[in-house]
Amino acid sequence: MQEVLAKIENLKLNYSTATAVQDVSFKLYRGEILAIIGPNGSGKTSVVECVEGLRSPTSGAVTVFGKNPYLHRHSIYKKIGVQLQDTQYPEKIKVGEVCRLFSSFYDHPADWKELARQLGLWEKQKRTVKKLSGGEKQRLSILLALLPRPELLILDELTTGLDPEIRRGMWDSLLHIKKMGTTILLVSHYINEVEYLADRLVYFNQGRSLFEGSQEQFREYVQQNTPKALWQENLTLEEVYLLLSPQTDVLELEEIL
Amino acid sequence: MKKLWAVIKIESVLFMRDFFGFFFTFIFPMMMLLLYGSIYGNEPSPYFHGLGAMDMSVPAYSVMIIGVTGLMAFPLTLAYYKENKIYKRFDATTAGKRTVLCAQVIVNFVMTILGFVLLLSVGKVMYGIQITGSAFAVCLALFLSMAAVYAVGFFLTAIAPNIKICNLLCYLCYFTMIFLSGSTIPRELFPDALKKISKALPLTYAVDALQASFHHAPNQEFWQNILVLLLVLAVCGSLGALLYKRKSWS
Repeated sequence: MQEVLAKIENLKLNYSTATAVQDVSFKLYRGEILAIIGPNGSGKTSVVECVEGLRSPTSGAVTVFGKNPYLHRHSIYKKIGVQLQDTQYPEKIKVGEVCRLFSSFYDHPADWKELARQLGLWEKQKRTVKKLSGGEKQRLSILLALLPRPELLILDELTTGLDPEIRRGMWDSLLHIKKMGTTILLVSHYINEVEYLADRLVYFNQGRSLFEGSQEQFREYVQQNTPKALWQENLTLEEVYLLLSPQTDVLELEEIL
Repeated sequence: MKKLWAVIKIESVLFMRDFFGFFFTFIFPMMMLLLYGSIYGNEPSPYFHGLGAMDMSVPAYSVMIIGVTGLMAFPLTLAYYKENKIYKRFDATTAGKRTVLCAQVIVNFVMTILGFVLLLSVGKVMYGIQITGSAFAVCLALFLSMAAVYAVGFFLTAIAPNIKICNLLCYLCYFTMIFLSGSTIPRELFPDALKKISKALPLTYAVDALQASFHHAPNQEFWQNILVLLLVLAVCGSLGALLYKRKSWS
């Protein structure tokens, strides 16, 4: 039987003005890549931040490595590496400095210099973070997430801002990291990324988790919830996913422009 | 401690890289001292109860340094880190935001003390400034002034909904206080109306406490200033902490 690394049960999270998520339940097993997908504003990041211990749920339970991550953040971060969705760093800090600083937080960190070489940041180590491009900042975030040699790697919008070559390289690196035994929780808008990487996925909509299972099971789930006339064989995962979404109107820009 | 030390080292480097903080903590007060010293000298004057203009100015310019770090550098860094979710990123490590906050307070305190020592040394060499009061009183006045002014800065970040408003509040408070508290222009030269306004400013009590501690044994006036600074620290510190409980760091 597979070991459960993180368990989310009937999670509900309220913000001051609205309920962000409710009735969210899923499990993360050791050694897998689990992807969370869903439209914008469906609560993916809110749930992941509860798993990371950065938010306390309004009700329900979250356990990571058998502990409440909000209460035991210090100890679980020895085993977790995270890349947050929209983090910035002090503008005047240099790449090498932020890497050295984050390395100092862990007892046995990965070699940041080697990671910087692998991620194409070695040449930029004396450059301030402010002067990095969007893609370079994203790679820096990934580097910092890998520093703790994490057992669990949580990546929120991993490849946003990366060009296709680096994105594909990142995917292969993640598969390699997974082979080394790291469990990965991935939040992504890119369904082709999920198709390439994920062993299982959780589908969110309007703050609820509506599906949890393998890619094949997801196809079956969508097929059951789609009019027969719309269903076709050999659809890509992205095409399958789009069947769940309401049709987006084509913008009538001609009249405006 | 290892993590705290690592963050202190980086925050010190970042402080030095910030032109505004560096210039107004180390250079500007010294420039003021040399400029006004070259004009007025340090001859005993009845205006200053028998002390020289520079004898009175060094403790006053010290408060200018406290104002820079307490009302500008510290609160603006806090607001910037919070708004850009930098604290949140540190929370997602074994260090946590408390380590960073603690390091930022320590670095700003240390920079203030270094600025004070530099100013005092230049004053001693150039104009023979003497501290005739007790070292205990000087240290008490200095540390309590720092704590009270930092509490005001902390309170400003707590009431500001975003970094733009925080910038505005900090600049407004800083410039109002340094010009009207007696830290740049001696209050003895103010008209009565301005003297009344200056009585409402926390920095005024820091100036008075430091000036009193430099040249006298702690007297009743000194302890009154210390009491006001303690009150400012308690009120602004606790109000700020209460407001921060309602704020999200995420």
